[in-house]
Formats: sequence, C-alpha cells, structure tokens
Amino acid sequence: MEPLLNHYLLVSGALFAIGLLGVIVRRNLLIIYMSLELMLNAANVALVAMSRFNGNLDGQVMVFFIITVAAAEVSVGLALIVALYRKRQTADVEDLATMKL
Amino acid sequence: MNIAAWLILLLPLFSAVVIGLGAFRSRKVSAAISVGAVVGSFLLTLLLIRAGGELRTSVTWLEFEGLQIDIGLQIDTLSKLMLCVVTGIGGLIHIFSLGYMKEDMDFSRYFAFLSLFVFSMIGIVLADNFVMMFIFWELVGISSYLLIGFWFDKSSAADAAKKAFLTNRVGDFGFLIGILMVWAALGSVGFADLSNALSGETAAVTGLAGFLIFCGAMGKSAQFPLHVWLPDAMEGPTPVSALIHAATMVAAGVYMLCRVFFLIDGTWAMEAIAWIGGLTSLMAALMAVQQDDIKRILAYSTLSQLGYMVMAVGLGSPDAAMFHLSTHASFKALLFLGAGSVIVALHHEQDIWKMGGLRDRMPRTYWTFFIGTMALCGVPLFSGFFSKEAIIDVALQSNLLLFLVAVFVALLTTFYMTRLFIVAFMGEPRSAQAKRAKESPALMTVPLLVLAVPSVLAGYYNAHAPNPLVLCASLVMLVFGMLVANTVYSGAKADPLPARFVWLAKAMRGRFWFDEMYQWLIDRVQENLAKLAEAIDRRVIAGLMVRGTHGTTELAGRVLRLTQTGNLKAYAFWFAIGMAALLVFTLS
Amino acid sequence: MDWLLIIVLLPLLAAAAVGFVPGSQLRTIRGITLGASGLALLGALIAFCSFKVGGGLQFETKWTWVESLGLHFHLAADGINIGIILMGAIVAFAAACCADDITHRMKEFHILLNLMIGGILGAFASMDLFFFYFFHELALVPTFIMIGVWGRGANRNYATYKITLYLSLGALLALIGLIGVYVQTGAESFSIPDLIAKVRETPIDEAAQQWIFPLLMFGFGILVSLWPFHTWAPLGYGAAPTATAMLHAGVLKKFGLYGLIRVAIPMAPAGAQNWLGVLAWLALANLLYCGLVAVRQKDLNQLIGNSSVAHMGFIFLGIASLNVIGLTGAVLVMIAHGLLAALAFGLSGHLYRQTGSLDMSRMGGLLRQMPLAGTALLMALLAGCGLPGFANFAGEVTIFFAAWLAGLKTITVIAAWSALVIGGLYMMRAIRNILHGPRGDDWAKASDVNPLIATALGLLLAALMVFGFAPGLLTKGIESEVTKIVRLAKPAADASEAQATEVAVR
Repeated sequence: MEPLLNHYLLVSGALFAIGLLGVIVRRNLLIIYMSLELMLNAANVALVAMSRFNGNLDGQVMVFFIITVAAAEVSVGLALIVALYRKRQTADVEDLATMKL
Repeated sequence: MNIAAWLILLLPLFSAVVIGLGAFRSRKVSAAISVGAVVGSFLLTLLLIRAGGELRTSVTWLEFEGLQIDIGLQIDTLSKLMLCVVTGIGGLIHIFSLGYMKEDMDFSRYFAFLSLFVFSMIGIVLADNFVMMFIFWELVGISSYLLIGFWFDKSSAADAAKKAFLTNRVGDFGFLIGILMVWAALGSVGFADLSNALSGETAAVTGLAGFLIFCGAMGKSAQFPLHVWLPDAMEGPTPVSALIHAATMVAAGVYMLCRVFFLIDGTWAMEAIAWIGGLTSLMAALMAVQQDDIKRILAYSTLSQLGYMVMAVGLGSPDAAMFHLSTHASFKALLFLGAGSVIVALHHEQDIWKMGGLRDRMPRTYWTFFIGTMALCGVPLFSGFFSKEAIIDVALQSNLLLFLVAVFVALLTTFYMTRLFIVAFMGEPRSAQAKRAKESPALMTVPLLVLAVPSVLAGYYNAHAPNPLVLCASLVMLVFGMLVANTVYSGAKADPLPARFVWLAKAMRGRFWFDEMYQWLIDRVQENLAKLAEAIDRRVIAGLMVRGTHGTTELAGRVLRLTQTGNLKAYAFWFAIGMAALLVFTLS
Repeated sequence: MDWLLIIVLLPLLAAAAVGFVPGSQLRTIRGITLGASGLALLGALIAFCSFKVGGGLQFETKWTWVESLGLHFHLAADGINIGIILMGAIVAFAAACCADDITHRMKEFHILLNLMIGGILGAFASMDLFFFYFFHELALVPTFIMIGVWGRGANRNYATYKITLYLSLGALLALIGLIGVYVQTGAESFSIPDLIAKVRETPIDEAAQQWIFPLLMFGFGILVSLWPFHTWAPLGYGAAPTATAMLHAGVLKKFGLYGLIRVAIPMAPAGAQNWLGVLAWLALANLLYCGLVAVRQKDLNQLIGNSSVAHMGFIFLGIASLNVIGLTGAVLVMIAHGLLAALAFGLSGHLYRQTGSLDMSRMGGLLRQMPLAGTALLMALLAGCGLPGFANFAGEVTIFFAAWLAGLKTITVIAAWSALVIGGLYMMRAIRNILHGPRGDDWAKASDVNPLIATALGLLLAALMVFGFAPGLLTKGIESEVTKIVRLAKPAADASEAQATEVAVR
C-alpha cells in the first residue's frame, strides 16, 4: 500500500496527542519536558510530510530550524530544571506553585 | 475739548492708581491727589458746560463683525447735568472726608477707593453704549462694595458689603440679558445707533427687554424688591453714604433709565416701572417712620425719593426725574453730611434718642440740617419743592392712584423728617455724649454751608409755575405732617408710637420682614440646590460612577483571579482545550 | 529669530542642567529654574510684541524628522497660540517663583518642573500633531509624579490615582481621535496646516466625522474637566504642590480646549455641527452645577478648584457657539483664566504654608494680617466673579454675546445667572470668610508674601489687567485665525449669519 499524506498526519496527530496527554497528566517536570519534545516532533513529522506531498521544500527548511532551536531550547530548559531541582529538591510541578496568589 | 472730556474720566482713575501703587504711604499726598483729581474733573466739567454743545468721542475696546464695543464719551445736556452733580457734590464730600476720616488708620485707602468710585461713576455718566455702561455699572458696584466694607474688621460692615454686592448682582443679571436682547433685536449696543435704528419704526424692543434693563436700575437704585441692601449699606463711613448711597450711585439707575428712555418708551415696561417706583417710595417712607438710627432714617428716605424718580420715569417724564435727582442729590448729601457731623461730635453715636439739644451746641450743623430738611419736605421756595411738585404733577396727569400714593408719601416724608429733626436737635440732651457735643471743625462745616446753597437754589433752574391742585395737596400734607410730628415728638423721651400702634410699628421697624423672607428663600432654595449639587458630586459622580467603575474593575479582577490556580497542568489542560476549540471554529 | 524654539528648549535644557547639579546646592538649582523660565518669559514677550496680526504662521522652526511618515518638528505661532504661549511663559515664571515651598528632594522636583514647563510651552507651540501630543504627555507625566511625591493632605494618594487615571483616559480617547483624523484624511503628514489644507479640499467622510468628533470632544473634554468628568480637578489641585497646581490649572489644562479649537473643529466640522449642542449643555452643567458645588466648599483650594471647573464652562460655551465672537472669547477666557488660576493657586499655596490648613471657617481678617497677599487675593477673587478691568470679564461678556447670537438663549440666561449671581455668591463668601471680619486665631503669626512671590503675583495681576483694559491686544490676532476656522466649519451657515447681522443692522 502506497503511504498517503493522511497516514503521516495520523502518526503526527497521535504523537501530538500522546505528548499533550503527557504534559497534562504527568507531574515530573522532566517527563513533561520530554512530552513537549514529542509534540514538537509531531509537528516536524507533519511538516516534512506536507513538504514531501506538496513538492515544496519550505516545510523541510522549517524543520531544520525547529530542530536546531529545539536543541538550544532543550539545553536551556534542562539547565533550568537541574538548577530548580538543586534549589528546591523536587521536580514535581505540584510543589512548584509559589507564583500562585 | 475731547481731551478735557477724557481727562474728566481719567483724572480720578489716575488718582486711584497712583495712591494704590505707592502714594498711600503718605496721608497728605494721597488726600491731595484724590481731592485734586475730583476738583480737576469738576473744573473741566464747568469748562465743558461753558463751551456748550454736544460732544462725542470714542476708542474701540473690542471689535467683531456685528458687535462693536467702544469706550466712548457722550457729552450732552443730560450727562453734563449729572457730571455736575457727581463731581461737584463729590468734590465737597472729598473735602468733608478730610475732616471726617482724619483719625482713621486707613485714610489713604479710603481716598483711593473714593477716587475709584468717582472714576466709575463718571464712566456711567459719560457712557455712549450699553456695554460700557455695564462695565462701569459693575465697577461702581465694586467701589460701593469696597467702601461699605471699608471697616471690614467689623463683621456687620463686611456682611453689609457682601449683601449690597450680591443684591446688585441679581439686578445686573437682568440688565445683561436685557442688553443681549436689545443687541439681538437692533444689532448694536451704541445709544446713538439704537436711537437711529428705532426712529421711524414702531418699537422693535419688547417690553421684556425694557423691563430687564430696568432690573439693572432696580438693583443700583434699590427699588422694590431689591431694596434691601441700601439700609445696610449705612455701615460704611458717613461721607460714603452721602456720596454713593444718597447723591450719586443710587441715582445711577434713574440716570440710566433716562439715558435709554427712547428704548423703553411705549412698552409695558413703563407701567411696571411706574408702579415699582410708587410702591418703593410708599414702603420706604413707612419704614422710615419707625427707625431710630439717624443714618437709617436718611437711607429709607433716600429709597423713598428714588422711588419718586423711578415713578416719574415710568410715567413718561424723565425730565422730572432728572430734576428731582439733581436737587435731591444736593439736599440729601447735605443731610448725610450733617448727620456725619453729628455722629463725629457724638463719638459715633447714631441713635437719635441719645441725641437732643444739639441746636445750641452745633449751630452750623443745625442750620444747614434745617435747610436740608426743609428742602426734602418740599417747603415752598426750597429746591425740593419744585422738583417734587413736578413729579406729583406728572402723576396727577397720568395716573390718579399713583398721584394719591405720591401725596401720601409726601405726608410721610414730612412726618419722619420732622420727627428726626425734633428728636435729634431740639429739646434737652438725652445722653452724656450729647451734652458734651461740640461743633465740627471748619473742614466739615464749610462743605455743609456750600451744599446748603444749591439745596435752596437748585430748584430755580427748572422752576415752573405749579399746578394749583398739586400745590394745595402738598401744602396741606406739609402742614399736617409737621403739626402731627410736632405734637407727638415735641419733648418726648422715647418714641410713643410703638405703644399705640403695636403691630404697625412692629412691621415698620421690622422693615416688613423682607430680609427675613429673603434669608428664608436663600436658605431654602439656594442652599438646598447647592447641597443637592454637592451630594450628586459626592455620591453619584465621585461615588457611584467613579468608585463604581473602580469597584467593578476590582471585582472582575477578584473573580478572574480564581482561575489562576498556579497549577501548571491545569493551565496546559485549558490551553489544549482552547486550542482545540479554536481549531474546530476555524476549520468548520 | 526662532523665538519659539528658544522658549521651548530653555526649560528642557534647564531640566538637563539641574540633573548635573548636586542635590545639596539648593540655590543653584532654584537659580537655574528661575533663570530659564525668566528668559523664556522674556523671549515670549519679545515674540508677542513683534508678532504681526494676520501674518499667518510666524517664528517658524521646521525640521523633518521621519520623512516617510510626514513627521516634522514644527514650531510656529499664529494669532491663537501666541497669546497662550505668552500666558504660559508668565505662569511658568510665576510658578518657578512660587516653587520655594519644596525643600524635600528639591533637585528631582525642579527637574520635573522644568520638564513640565518645556512640555507645556512645546505643546502649544507645535504645529505637528505628533509633537503636539508628545509635548502634552511630556508635561502630563511629571504632573502625576509631582502630586504623588510632593503633594499634600491625607487624600494625596487617592488624588494622584484619580488624576492619573482620568487624564490618561482623556489623553487616550483624544489619541484615538487624532489617529482617526490622520488615517481618515489620508494626508500622510502630521502637520496641522497640511491636514487642514487637505480637509479643505476633501473633507473627511461624514460618517467618520460622527465618531471622530465625539472622541476628540470627550477626550479633550476630560482633560479640561468637562462635566461630568470633572471631579478629578478640585481633588487633584487640592493635593498638588503649589507650582504644579499653578501650571496645570493655569496652562496645561487649556491644552484640551486648544485641541478642540485647533484640531477637532477644523477636521470634523460636520461632526461638530452635530455634537456642539451637547457640548453647550455640558458647558452649562459646568457653569451652574460646579458653581453650586463651589458654594458649599469650606476649603479654599476646593473652592478655587470648583470655581475653576465652573469657568471652563464659559470656554466650552464659547466653543459651542461656533462663531467668530464665541471662539475669540473662548481663547480670551483661556488666557485670562490661566493667569487667574495661577494667581489663585499661588496665593492659596502661600496661605497653606502659613498654618497648614485652608479651612475658610478658621480664617478671617487676613487683609489686615497680610496686606499684600490679601489685596492680591481680593483682586483674584473679584476677577473670578467677572469684574470689569480684568481680562476674564472681556472674555466672558463676548461669550455671552456669541452664545446669544448662536441661538443658545436658554443656556445663556442660566449661564449669566450662574456667572453673575452664583459666581458672585461664592467669591463674596470667600472674601468675607478669609479676608474680612475679625482675625482667625490660628493666623496671628502668619506673615506676608516675600518679595519673590510678590513679584510673581504682581506680574500675573498686571497681565490680567493689561489684557482686561486692552483685550484688543489679543482679540485682533485671535479673530483673524478663528475666522478661518469658522469659515471652514460652516461655509454655508456663515454666509446666512452675516446676512442676518446685516439685516439687523439695517
């Protein structure tokens, strides 16, 4: 069976949903962070597929940017999480509610 | 000649400014400048009268298309007569003041104000248009305010000044609206233009406009119902009462009516003016009968005489009104100055029942006061006789009811003046001060003697052979009034009337309770309106609206804050829902 | 000479200069402020004297700033603003003289004061919509800070919040309106003369005018305390330091009125025709209602504040008449009231410094206690109730004529009542309570004004009387400019009105 655009989009959608679910239900910051990456990559999959099926390279170029920016972002984010853990001895979002009034 | 006319106006202003800017440090210099200015104006007036003819000169004050406001001088017979009265009597009163105010610590300020007044009064007299008249009208009001409240440390003087100003302001309100109406109807505010615009046409100005203009006169000339300020104005120094509140300013209303007579002639306003004049003269004469303060008696008498003049204008005879105005100015100024001389001699005692026996102690004051009284009562051959006769004559010819009022007022006038004269000057002294009274210095008695001359003679410049009926009526009233007063008060130690006519005397003493009525009205209406406005300001605008807006904003903030749980997962959840909803909306 | 540039730059440079002076050198700081405002006043006087009536824009400075947007730094004077600039310079100098009651953090105060002065003069001198608005904000922001930091009274914080919110709201509404004007004309220029030339050829779409004008009217109106958006004024002035109150009540507040005459009416004449009726009634509310509120006040500052709000009614009424006489009278009252408000607040500031209270029921006899200040206050209060000889009278009486001409008869009658009787009532009560009568007990040690403040007050009084005796000095220039605006606003009605006057004259 020839893979159609819809199949790719289904995969991408599924990935996105899993990621979102992870963000919502998990409590550990690290896991939430990984779930976020999953969502980003879901978008990447969709972009690449679109690019492939529309015969336009713009989408793939964009994915390159996303990957580079995501790498930078991950390093900053992880550093923040580690710093936070050192300070508060926890990575549980339920405990990190000092901004709440 | 133009320069002379401008100098007449500007000399007193110059005096006021120079004294105000620095000359006040020296009493002598201030007095010299002030007296010099008014005497200079008087001499220039005489010069203009000698030169004869009419004169008009003006500079533009404000100019628009369709509205030109000049400061213009109009010198004709009417204004020359009035100028003579203002500067002549004004000059004498300035000189009298030198003696009267000698002891006062604010001697210089007094003369500055006096000069300011003379300037404003001359402005009214010379004005050739409505707006200029209104300007000087206000300035006269303020100089009168400053002089009534001259001894402002005294609460009563300060209150009287305030009352005078505000009562006048009510009249000025009408005056201003009247001016606007005339301007809208005829397209100009200049008297000459207006008179041209009216000539050949039927009256284009409504009675309402005429009546509103009369409102200005009602305030200045203290006509009913705005008469209440004049008696209180006696709180000012006595020469001020003589100059402003007897001879000149209060006559300004009558003068103004004569000036714009061509506008109001033939409208229903005339009728109203005549009746208001008659009513005022009657009411004021009744009040005068039961007053004990020498200045207040004269004040009510002034009111009553002003009522005569206004009535004469209303009955269509401005000539008679101006005639009485000029004679009245001299003898009433004489009476006030005489009263001032008595008051100084008695160390500021004004109650006539604490006087008595002044005849031998103050002969010059006595004789001049006698002449003034005779003139006011209208004894034949004195000046007041001719002018009063003229007014009563006018009344006889046009309105029988008003004629009767006028004759009755003549009786009352004779009665209260005889009462004043007998109680104050005859009999035995009734107080320690009266026993020790001495004649005033020459600085004060000479103006009295000079004023006595026109009080006797001023009537002859316009004397007519009197109407026999009028002559009879007024002679009967004169003799009757004098006899009654003489029987009642000769040798009396206290006023016998209140015991006999309890209610009538009470009403007269209480000035028919106008002040109380007005006070009640002000308290009820004005104060409550102000309270209401303030309550709205505080409760509705600052409270309901401003604080309401503030409250709503704050409440919204409080409600919305509940959604800020601080829970990251909840935010993510809401975010996802929101995105999903957005997607559904955009895609479907 | 570019007098306007000098006048505007001097205070701004002074603000910078004060910044470099150590805060301990009080005399130097005061000297800089006084010197700058004094020189600015001198410049304004020279400009006023060499101004040619009917000569269009004069003393121009025009620098292009952003070519593509049509932004220019453009200062110029015509008959309308030359008088206001002179008045502003006089008030600024007087305020600088009266600023010596500030001792705490004086340096910062003087920086802000100079900024405010520069902003005020710049706003009235600018012929470019952008700088017109920018300079106004430059003056407005220091006002808030000055009231908040150096203000007085228990209500200070509330007053600061209130005045800030109100005025920011007003400025914001006006900004939307101004943007509307810019977008709708499509002129690609912020220059007011260019915009006017543009709308003369192709007026703004009528439907758009119907929302632009009310935006400008209420926006500018809030800045001038138009009823019912007036409650910030007495409160704010009551809490403000003397110099700030003088400058704001005297000059800065007039910006809204100036904007109405300069921008709103010429740009949206059709909108104006529709909305000026509303403005006339609101003006009456200012006059009557705020006059009544003033009668009830017991605090001198509240009284002056409320009466000042009431006086704004005259100016609104003059604008609402929309004829040459009315607009001229409106500008005249703006100038007169500016001088008067500065005088009154300067005096109340002096009184406040004596005992820390302005409760009128505890005063009395101050004319005896402090002859100079007392006389000045007496004259100020009398000018406030419209006494001839002061410039206020000339303006007010012209406005009555204009309103009557415009057919607003009921309003004129009630306005005259409020002006003559109610105005007289509260001013007379104030004189009676403060100056006359026996001396209040707290005031035994009160001293008269020092020579510096006396100079300032004398200057204000002299200006009031000069313009009162010879209003022609101002009206000739104002009239020639205002005529253009009126012609633009109602080309058809103007002709018929002229005809009506002609018929009446005949």
